[in-house]
Amino acid sequence: MDGSALAALGFAALFVLLFIRVPVGAALLIVGAAGIHAIRPQASLPVLAGEIFAESSNYALTILPLFILMGNLAGISGMSRDLYAAAHSWLGHFRGGLASASIVGCAGFSALSGSSLAAALTMGRVSLPEMKRFSYADSLSTGAIAAGGTLGILIPPSAGFVIYAILTEVSIGRLFIAGVVPGILLTLMFVLTVWLVVARDPSKAPRSLQPEPLKVRFAMMLKATWIIAIVFVTIGGIYAGVFSAVEAAGIGAMLAFAACILRRGLTREGVAEAIGSTLKATGTAFFILFGAFVFKTFVGFTGVAFALTEWVESAGLTGTHVVLAVLVAFMILGTFLEGFAMLVLTIPLIQPVLESQGIDMVWFGVLIVIVLEMALISPPVGLNVFVVKGIATDVPINTIFRGIVPFWLAMLATLALVLLFPGLTLFLPNSMFG
Amino acid sequence: MPDGGARSFLSGAQGRLDKHSQLIAALGGAALVALVAVTVVAVFWRYILNSPIFGIEDVSTMTLTVVVAAAVAYGAHKQAHVGVNIIGFAFSRRVTRITDLAARTLTFAIAAVAGYALLAKGSCGLPCGHITSNLAIPHPPFYFVLGAAMLSYAAVLLFQIAVGIANWTGEDPNEMRG
Repeated sequence: MDGSALAALGFAALFVLLFIRVPVGAALLIVGAAGIHAIRPQASLPVLAGEIFAESSNYALTILPLFILMGNLAGISGMSRDLYAAAHSWLGHFRGGLASASIVGCAGFSALSGSSLAAALTMGRVSLPEMKRFSYADSLSTGAIAAGGTLGILIPPSAGFVIYAILTEVSIGRLFIAGVVPGILLTLMFVLTVWLVVARDPSKAPRSLQPEPLKVRFAMMLKATWIIAIVFVTIGGIYAGVFSAVEAAGIGAMLAFAACILRRGLTREGVAEAIGSTLKATGTAFFILFGAFVFKTFVGFTGVAFALTEWVESAGLTGTHVVLAVLVAFMILGTFLEGFAMLVLTIPLIQPVLESQGIDMVWFGVLIVIVLEMALISPPVGLNVFVVKGIATDVPINTIFRGIVPFWLAMLATLALVLLFPGLTLFLPNSMFG
Repeated sequence: MPDGGARSFLSGAQGRLDKHSQLIAALGGAALVALVAVTVVAVFWRYILNSPIFGIEDVSTMTLTVVVAAAVAYGAHKQAHVGVNIIGFAFSRRVTRITDLAARTLTFAIAAVAGYALLAKGSCGLPCGHITSNLAIPHPPFYFVLGAAMLSYAAVLLFQIAVGIANWTGEDPNEMRG
């Protein structure tokens, strides 16, 4: 059997394993190890052990547990409540202002946590009861939280960027900085979406707060200083070149820990919860990475990526065609595959093709992460939707999916803007790193 | 539903796994704190004292292996390793109990093989050049920790297989939801 046929068989086997609910990391490990065994039997066990050890001791990956810990400590310290309160005081009096405040709160929390699920969960707990109190339509309130939570993997620090960077060997710092402008742009698009939804049907947000005096708004902002300071030190530190991304993660985790102590948010249960959540999220990400690198080695052995590159060149396809095809494929795959699974399944195959077409892998990384965000709220397996459903137990899942549609379209519009204007993504990292 | 003897055996095994999981969480938590401390110390010495500590990256990476090992094992205990649940929407429990048994058996096999491969490769030790580049910290203990983590995952799966079979005609408490 030639390499391309073996690779096709491997991908088919992978989909079967995923279909029968084999965990993503295990499915990749099984197919990768079996595929390597089929090509070079003596290499399969050493590659298996070698890749697991290599990823577990990859210095760049130190960033993952540290940033996850930082986000979890921020969650238990009560900083997220202050952040929401600040956004609430500035935006709450506008039509749909509570939904907009939730989105801005999610964006702020995303700058502390690389996880979309954590952002949706943390902000959802704080803001959903408030929106219910003001008679917001369930579709708007749950849709805003599910969509706002997705900002977690676009606004740095982002677990999605870390995984992409490790797979493609692109600088994590460069990717983080590249995500800043699209992250802010998408936040504004979400806020605009809320405004449009409410303008079209005012019954979705029938009541608003009285405007808070400026003094109160600034006081609320002051209360959120901790979170702003941590974001400023970590992300600002990376941008200014003071810290590497790993060092920023360590400092961020320490500052979040200090904030917990100073705000008297540090309880035995809280610490256990933060550590437990960090270990779970870290274990999930690393187990997928183990599989991804064993699978990547298998794909490399088959030579299918080279064959695909030759085919793309002989078919006369341009880089733009390839990027568009990949984005459309990701949108379709996103309806039934988990985001990280999509990333680790496809990147080993398409990276050589993209590089041969001269595609900037930082720009492409941002595009891919936006599509992963869309996958997080796409039916039937959009994870953020199930997180929100877990908080809003009385809201039918169909209502949440219906509420998400306008936000999904806003993501599509942002994707188009980033696609058409690469400068939105590349200006900041190029100005910093050259 | 499992009979009395099987129920008592499974409940005893569950208790042991729970204790094991608490131990892993404690080890992982300690390693996580150490990782933060090492990173902060490295930054402090580099930027404040202007005197980078030689080889501190080696300490970071080896601490990371312990964090990762604990995280993978703890994730297994807490069923954090994500899968894709399409089959659950399309088929009833009569089908998924069979596919779940197949999925767990395959996952058990790869976790056990990976655990064995890590222990075997770690056993090679210094003759294979398994040391860190700056401080020459030997890799074998860290291979063993990772191998133990994979075997711990395999043990959890074995337990889930037993629970799945014991609850063959009823609800499986470990079945993937959502």
